[in-house]
Amino acid sequence: MEEKRKIQKPKYNMWQNTGFMLRNAWETNKSVIFLCIALAVITASRTIAELFITPVILHKLETEVPVLELVQVIIILSLILLILSGLKAYIDTNTLFGRIGVRMKLVEQIGNKLAETSYPNILDTEFIKTEEKARRAVSSNDRAAEHIWAIWTDIITDVLGFFFYLMLLSNLNPLLAGVVMVTTAVGYLINKRINEWGYRHKEEEAAYDKSLGYIQDTATGREYAKDIRIFGLKGWLDDLWHSTIKLYQAFLARREKVYLWANVVDILLTLLRNGIAYAYLFSMVLTEDMSASQFLLYFTAVSGFTQWVTGILNQFSILHKESLELTVIREFLEWPEPFSFENAQPLQKAEKYEIRLEQVSFRYPHTDKDTIRGIDLTIHPGEKLAVVGLNGAGKTTLIKLICGFLDPTQGRVLLNGIDIRTYNRRDYYALFSAVFQDFSVLEANVAENVAQQTKEIDEKRVWGVLGQAGLTDKIRALPDGIYTRIGRKVFEDGVELSGGETQRLMLARALYKDGAILTLDEPTAALDPIAENDIYMKYHEMSAGKTSLFISHRLASTRFCDRILFLENGRIAEEGTHEKLLSQGGGYAGLFEIQSRYYKEGGAHDGE
Amino acid sequence: MENKESTFTMKEAWKRNARAWKIWNGLCPRVFSSKFLSSMLKAISPYVTIYFSARIIGELAGDKNSGELLKWILLELFCFAGIAFLHSILKRWSDYEMDNAYNMNTRPYMEKMLSLDYSDIDRQYVFDLYSQIMQNQQYTGWGIVKTLDIFESAVTSLIQILGGIVLSFSLFIRKVPDGSDLEFLNKPVCIAAIHMLMLLIAAIAPMCTNQSGRYWSKWAPEARFGNRCFMFYGFMSSDRKRAADLRMYQQQEKVCKVYLNRNTLFGIKSGISRYARGPMGLWAALGQSLSVLLIGVVYLFVCMKAAGGAFGIGSVTQYVGAITQLFLGISALLEVAGNMRENGEFLKLCYEFLDLPNKMYQGSLTTEKRADRQYCVEFRDVSFQYPGSKIWVLRHINMKFKVGSRLAVVGRNGSGKTTFIKLLCRLYDPTEGQILLNGIDIRKYKYDDYINLFSVVFQDFKLLSLPIAENVAGAAAYDKSRVLECLKMAGFEEKLNAMPRGTETYLYKDLDENGVEISGGEAQKIAIARALYKDAPFMILDEPTAALDPIAEAEIYSKFNAIAGDKTAVYISHRLSSCRFCDEIAVFEQGHIVQQGAHEELLAEKDGKYAELWHAQAEYYE
Repeated sequence: MEEKRKIQKPKYNMWQNTGFMLRNAWETNKSVIFLCIALAVITASRTIAELFITPVILHKLETEVPVLELVQVIIILSLILLILSGLKAYIDTNTLFGRIGVRMKLVEQIGNKLAETSYPNILDTEFIKTEEKARRAVSSNDRAAEHIWAIWTDIITDVLGFFFYLMLLSNLNPLLAGVVMVTTAVGYLINKRINEWGYRHKEEEAAYDKSLGYIQDTATGREYAKDIRIFGLKGWLDDLWHSTIKLYQAFLARREKVYLWANVVDILLTLLRNGIAYAYLFSMVLTEDMSASQFLLYFTAVSGFTQWVTGILNQFSILHKESLELTVIREFLEWPEPFSFENAQPLQKAEKYEIRLEQVSFRYPHTDKDTIRGIDLTIHPGEKLAVVGLNGAGKTTLIKLICGFLDPTQGRVLLNGIDIRTYNRRDYYALFSAVFQDFSVLEANVAENVAQQTKEIDEKRVWGVLGQAGLTDKIRALPDGIYTRIGRKVFEDGVELSGGETQRLMLARALYKDGAILTLDEPTAALDPIAENDIYMKYHEMSAGKTSLFISHRLASTRFCDRILFLENGRIAEEGTHEKLLSQGGGYAGLFEIQSRYYKEGGAHDGE
Repeated sequence: MENKESTFTMKEAWKRNARAWKIWNGLCPRVFSSKFLSSMLKAISPYVTIYFSARIIGELAGDKNSGELLKWILLELFCFAGIAFLHSILKRWSDYEMDNAYNMNTRPYMEKMLSLDYSDIDRQYVFDLYSQIMQNQQYTGWGIVKTLDIFESAVTSLIQILGGIVLSFSLFIRKVPDGSDLEFLNKPVCIAAIHMLMLLIAAIAPMCTNQSGRYWSKWAPEARFGNRCFMFYGFMSSDRKRAADLRMYQQQEKVCKVYLNRNTLFGIKSGISRYARGPMGLWAALGQSLSVLLIGVVYLFVCMKAAGGAFGIGSVTQYVGAITQLFLGISALLEVAGNMRENGEFLKLCYEFLDLPNKMYQGSLTTEKRADRQYCVEFRDVSFQYPGSKIWVLRHINMKFKVGSRLAVVGRNGSGKTTFIKLLCRLYDPTEGQILLNGIDIRKYKYDDYINLFSVVFQDFKLLSLPIAENVAGAAAYDKSRVLECLKMAGFEEKLNAMPRGTETYLYKDLDENGVEISGGEAQKIAIARALYKDAPFMILDEPTAALDPIAEAEIYSKFNAIAGDKTAVYISHRLSSCRFCDEIAVFEQGHIVQQGAHEELLAEKDGKYAELWHAQAEYYE
């Protein structure tokens, strides 16, 4: 990975990325930019004032000015410093918020992109990796998306300071400034080389970090507690923890030994630089009778100048590194969309919707087998369709093709005769009321979860659909009824629903949406027999006037459908009513027989 | 916040921090010696420069004797380099110790969590407490981990103060010669007044800074909610499982964005930002300005004395430098005290968690290792409420397990089935009644001994992202042939043979990029193998087929007898078909066992719950 990145030239350089951040700040909080500049000017001015305060006062003492003048000078200098320090502290306190605001905007943009991107993108590992990197780049104050402001503030400060000190030292002897720059640059380069050790070994470190984090999460996670106790897993976790810590320690020891060399180089170069500076100033004292205050001024300026030079080199190197992170954010946000959205034609509402699959095949990327193979299927308006088959037969993939989450690798999906690819995909999704196997329950109240919006919720309808899903009693018993919050990740007073209750809530949500096509993927897996039966009984009512798709491996559930599709290896192997399929005596009948065996008299011991 | 602050004293704060130091001393004792030495040198090194520079300046302003000058310059250069070298060695050492300590910092919580009574782990209060501690640590660095920084700052500032006193002591002794206009500077009143003034400023400046910082804690409760909201809605779309719903229901547009925008956690519209533009920023500015004022006062006093002839120019730089450092040290020390106090608040939470008691009574009896597995467990009038709840989840349960029998437990969602299992394995103790093992209350046995009698595959069982073999054995060391045997018996053999590294293959990709992703059914098989490996007299399977298709379900059913072997087995399921191969069935309804007996018997009771459940499912198969 690392190798590849080095060869590839990043799409945007650090100037372009700075421009990107400036545009973002300009739109969100302009103050961020002005505060950076103001802070830099003040910081540089203060450092310069500090440089002069002692030498100026010493000079006054040396020249034995009257006490009153001395006092005056001290007061004026202190006041300047006082005002600059106060201002700096005030601005420092205020820079954070605007910067966070800009970063949050990026977090939001990343979230939006991910939530609204074409579904196939989220199956693309490259996309996901880029997302993870982009997320990391906006994850905290010290990551690129916010830290860049601190870097630019420092760069401006350092450059201002650099030029001022350069003038000062060049006035004395340009060669001295040259020596400082050269020694500093050499030191910087050697140090960088040595400190790259950490960068080169960062994957090793990340692996240990990951391990420790994982052990920690497992040992403290509630969901693991039962298994840990029953199977006595504490010793295992302890062993793992100790061995990881040992490896980590060895790593740290190696690292610190390497880093020591960076310190040694620094010390030697500082010794050299200071030696040269002292030697030069010493000669000035002997030949030109330099005063003590000047000696102090120039010597302090030499070390100060070093810091400006180091600062500039360091900050640009960090900027370069963080620019790579910013590039990733932009790459993610600009990731191409295979689906059409607002740029396509809107879908006009119709009385009836007919969905037709024409020779549809689908193959997941990086696999060598079609998951769906040449399916022809017409779903008539108002039809109740069941899709059954073993795990891995392609049920869920078929549903994803019908719902427009995936586009066929071959063939077409047509809505009322028109390829769905020509429509705004979001309009297409609006046609469906769906319950999938994986839910997205919101950390919000019941009503918001049912209505899937925060405003203009029709309370009556909420209660109505909750009733249909069999949740009335449960919700009534909650402290705030439909305004009770669900989940405890956001609201500390939230309630947690059981698996079965969640499934019913998801059903209520689908009913509230009242889309033309009802799609239920294994909606009863977590329910007990009576509750399951209850849903089956109500299925007719729920799907009244709608086209409906019911996916299940519980074959019992398919009895009340107009047509059953039995999927096998990505094909529709059998098709028809329950009775028809049973009488065919094919795969469906076989499966039904296995499942019903235990429910029939005398079937108990067949399987042993 | 104000009230809370007054409720605990500095002494209390000290005690709490000291306890944290003791914890560190247990975890990695050398972190203290390394930190102490490196902080000491760090504090001393500026004084080296101050001292020698003063000599050089003094020489320059005085005789300008080139020999003397050269001597001081060389001394300064080499002493500085020497100290820097020593410091860097110590710094590397202490960095090592520090990073090591950070890696260990969650260890106490981990140990506590592992040793807590299960009933406590299940409590929302414990969970919230722990999350809050972790949140504090992660977002603000407060808590046990903070005490290492506090230690470092305390050592540095104390030595800084000490060095400052040593180098500035003579300032107050060296007198302005008699007859000078500035002789009044010698007067004790004057010296005392100067001291007072400096101390006053030194004390007030950090107070202002603290006052500014206090707005953070004032805003903290609001922020905590904001943070939770942001952590959820800002990152919700990263959860792959949400992808379909997000699109179908336009959750991002209609809900996430609304919650995110409603929440002005940070940004220039937030409460904390308003504080920053107002009092918080002003206090910070005042604090900084006052520190500068202090330097001004020092300059004034020192320079006036020098002007009066008390000492030379060289000493001026020494005194100004030393006193500036000294007061920086004092400010830092005061800040340390403030931090200790603030941290005391956070530490209180940490200790609240670490001091959670183990309330479960544990006896000393051992469960004799009986070769014949004649362990007879009996529930005698057992009732149970979850802690803090008034609802009877189980009521008057009487049940005797027949050794080596197969028991099916059925009932509706929430009828108490899983709770029944939790009591049986003693994850909870009954609220009323007794559970007996071979006639003796299970509380009288050693806890670990008792729990060792059970192998359970919970409905929500978990496997770890570690090698398959270790997962089966539940330990880093294992008997390979037995692992293979158990996996085979659980029906995992075929899949195992397809794996690149066999039983050494990692599960999932958390810790190994080459780890394998497995389906729910496959995971279940490994969990069953783990239960087999443990080879306990009781084997309990809780809803093992919910996620399986009919073929896989039939496979489990057909293997059930082989899996259970000579063990006493309990099988919980919604799929009543499973009852057919069990000797006995217990039907749970609202916490009671309403029916108990064999399948045919129960089915014969036409109005019984069992018949109702059975027919609800069976009618589709008739």
